[in-house]
Amino acid sequence: MIEAVLQTLLNGAASGGVYALVALGYTLIFSVLGVINFAQGALFSLGGYLTYLLLGGKIGVNGALPGLALPVGLPFWLALLLAALGSGLIGLAVERIAFAPLRRRNAEPLLSLITSLGAGVVLVNLLQMLMGAEGYAFPQGAAVVANLPESLLIGGARIRTIQVLLLLISAVAVAALSLWLERSRSGKAMRAVAEDATTATLLGIDSEAIVRLAFLFSGMLAGLGGGLIGMSVSLAGPYFGISYGLKGLAVLVLGGLGSVPGAIVGGLVMGLAEALIPAAASGWRDALAFAILFAVLVLRPSGLLGRRQLEKV
Amino acid sequence: MSAASPDPLLELQQIGRRFGGLQALSEVSFSVQEGEIFGLIGPNGAGKTTLFNLLSGVTPASSGAIHWRGRSLQGLSPDRHNRLGIARTFQNLRLFTGLTVLDNVVAALHRHPQGSGLDALFNTPHFRRSQKELRQRAFDLLEELGLADQAHREAAGLAYGDRRRLEIARALATNPTLLLLDEPAAGMNPSEKEQLCALLSELRQRHDLTLLVIEHHVPLLMQLCHRLAVLDFGRLIALGTPEQIQRDPRVIEAYLGGST
Amino acid sequence: MIDNGLLVQMILGALLGLSVYLPMAAGQLSLATPAFYAVGGTLAALLATQGSPQASISLGAVFGEMLLAAALTAGLALLVGLPVLRLRGIYLAIATIALVEIVRVAILNLPFTGGATGIFGIPQPFQQPFGYVLLSGGLLALCGWLCQRLEASRLGRSMAAIRDDELASRCMGIQTTRVKLTAFVASAVVAGITGVIAAHYLNTWNARQGSFDVAITTLAFVILGGSRSWLGPVVGGLLLTALPELLRPVGDLRLVLFGLVILLGPVFFPQGLITPALLERIGRWKP
Repeated sequence: MIEAVLQTLLNGAASGGVYALVALGYTLIFSVLGVINFAQGALFSLGGYLTYLLLGGKIGVNGALPGLALPVGLPFWLALLLAALGSGLIGLAVERIAFAPLRRRNAEPLLSLITSLGAGVVLVNLLQMLMGAEGYAFPQGAAVVANLPESLLIGGARIRTIQVLLLLISAVAVAALSLWLERSRSGKAMRAVAEDATTATLLGIDSEAIVRLAFLFSGMLAGLGGGLIGMSVSLAGPYFGISYGLKGLAVLVLGGLGSVPGAIVGGLVMGLAEALIPAAASGWRDALAFAILFAVLVLRPSGLLGRRQLEKV
Repeated sequence: MSAASPDPLLELQQIGRRFGGLQALSEVSFSVQEGEIFGLIGPNGAGKTTLFNLLSGVTPASSGAIHWRGRSLQGLSPDRHNRLGIARTFQNLRLFTGLTVLDNVVAALHRHPQGSGLDALFNTPHFRRSQKELRQRAFDLLEELGLADQAHREAAGLAYGDRRRLEIARALATNPTLLLLDEPAAGMNPSEKEQLCALLSELRQRHDLTLLVIEHHVPLLMQLCHRLAVLDFGRLIALGTPEQIQRDPRVIEAYLGGST
Repeated sequence: MIDNGLLVQMILGALLGLSVYLPMAAGQLSLATPAFYAVGGTLAALLATQGSPQASISLGAVFGEMLLAAALTAGLALLVGLPVLRLRGIYLAIATIALVEIVRVAILNLPFTGGATGIFGIPQPFQQPFGYVLLSGGLLALCGWLCQRLEASRLGRSMAAIRDDELASRCMGIQTTRVKLTAFVASAVVAGITGVIAAHYLNTWNARQGSFDVAITTLAFVILGGSRSWLGPVVGGLLLTALPELLRPVGDLRLVLFGLVILLGPVFFPQGLITPALLERIGRWKP
């Protein structure tokens, strides 16, 4: 009994941690540019596939290069890190192609919504060409890769190691990001740009460099999330990141657009709420995030921890 | 103007507005009589625009009550305020920049009779006639404000002073009793200001208006207004005729002390 | 290259484009179109497959379904619109994405909608796709005419004013809530009726018909076609629905190319294909 409860809570916290990663990715970009990057879900997928390949996984029969694999699989933490970096770099490319040209022309912000969606469509379909539409299970259980047992005994309860890893890694990533924002020079610069881009520029901050940094980190967070979920659950085709991208969006609003603590709290709330849905109604789980989101938007549009915005007249 | 008149058009009782920790307005009380030209002055950040936002229903008051012809305005939306007869202009200009000058006024003439939806659908003669009248009415208003020759330009392309006048034309199109003008002369040169002053008096006569005017250019208000209220840090510090205001030591203090 | 089957899909695309366009003409970025499309389609699928399986259905019954779908989606839009339309900009977009997902999961999980495989064997009112061309084409013509008249009417002008500056519109006494709600309901009705036609045409209906992808593509119809007049989404819907089919010869690359069009289109045509300047030229050319 206690085992089931603990496992449920851990599952919830673990997926909540991943939601928080995705939502933080949105938050970084939203706070510096005031726009949503809809390619985030595709970058999530990309992270999952990169992790799979870097761990030594083979391309399936429907892919462009069936049976191909890296000569050696990397250790799990290195694969995860490199996959995140790869997603981050592609995120940077998305910024160059989908956002920068519009920004230069002072175009309507709405347009970047479309271009980033377009970038996501391109990415996902490239993945589909290369890897096929099939699902992938990871070469070995990730816990085994990390030389850890499949399950752990904590306080008399046996729980899956991978979920603990998921939670720990997301926690470390979130902590590192927060620390960077608080302490580092570039992190402070990013907060300054988020507060007021014009003033920040006058103070000598290169806001374009900060924007690029935001996209890099945002892509890395999404890629990391994709890798983690891939290891814990498996990759259900190139589109699997889209639903995480959408849930991340729900978390983003739940926590309040642009709020870092909001994204973390929102992610955990969402993950735990989903975990508490009884198995009999599990089909409805995907609707829960959006039902909560809907309720929050209607009752408190600024989110749980967001600032209420007043229109200037 | 007799302050003892029984039913003022607009009456503010102990109005307060708080934004988080900032008390933008506190305990402001005064009343405006029908037909009056009432000026509102005060240094930047004194709460003048906040007061307009309360009077037009854009932001609710945190405390106190506003009465319109003896009836409370509490909780009414901006469009209800307008339908009761309160129209406004905006200090930072909120024209429909994507529309032509004429269409800005036509959009504001939405209460002008123009046939049923079915008339519009089938473009009946009745509908065509009402549209013609509608455009003529809009054109007349532009004529009054001296904008007729620019009717078909995009509003975004107007000169600054013309934009201010278009804001007034658009507000007039809603057929108001009380017109709230937020810095109507801002950005105008002295001769334009002079013309505006004459124009406002004229409009008041012709449209039976009551005017409540925020303006930084104090000489213009002294010339135009029957009475003035002075706000400083959200408080009403003086109220009276232009002569009274000019002599008031608190006003002199607020202006000379606050501007350094 | 364009056969009647593709033509039907193109016209359905144009109709969905109009559905996204209507709230946008009142300044509201609503992505709820797939939700109402799914509701309309599911309603038609359920009604038409009641009783013993049949291959065909009378046109009158299809019109009946359209009326019911219109009523149902209008009611739903009223219910949802009142709270949701208080939201602005990206918040409204996200709330409507949430609506789309909720409807999708509901159709997937309700006991009577056929689960993941959906509903099969929806009877056809026509033997040939050409019948659908006439039906959907007629509906598109009707909607186009309504939009054209709308732009000349008080409601259309109020929508344009709200799109330009909602607060100023309210201060001019325009009942913005009512106007926005009207546009939202109209959008829902167009999507719902389109769903009815699509369900019969496709012969099968499932939850995937109303997914987030549809929200993206239909929004792309409006943005790439041009959002300043109803012609924009119609042109966008026709072209972008045809594009993946016309690209079929390039095989797997076609969806990548489709993505590139969505990605690069707004960069090169920020106002869409049907720009205000183009419209003015057309307007002058008109007798």
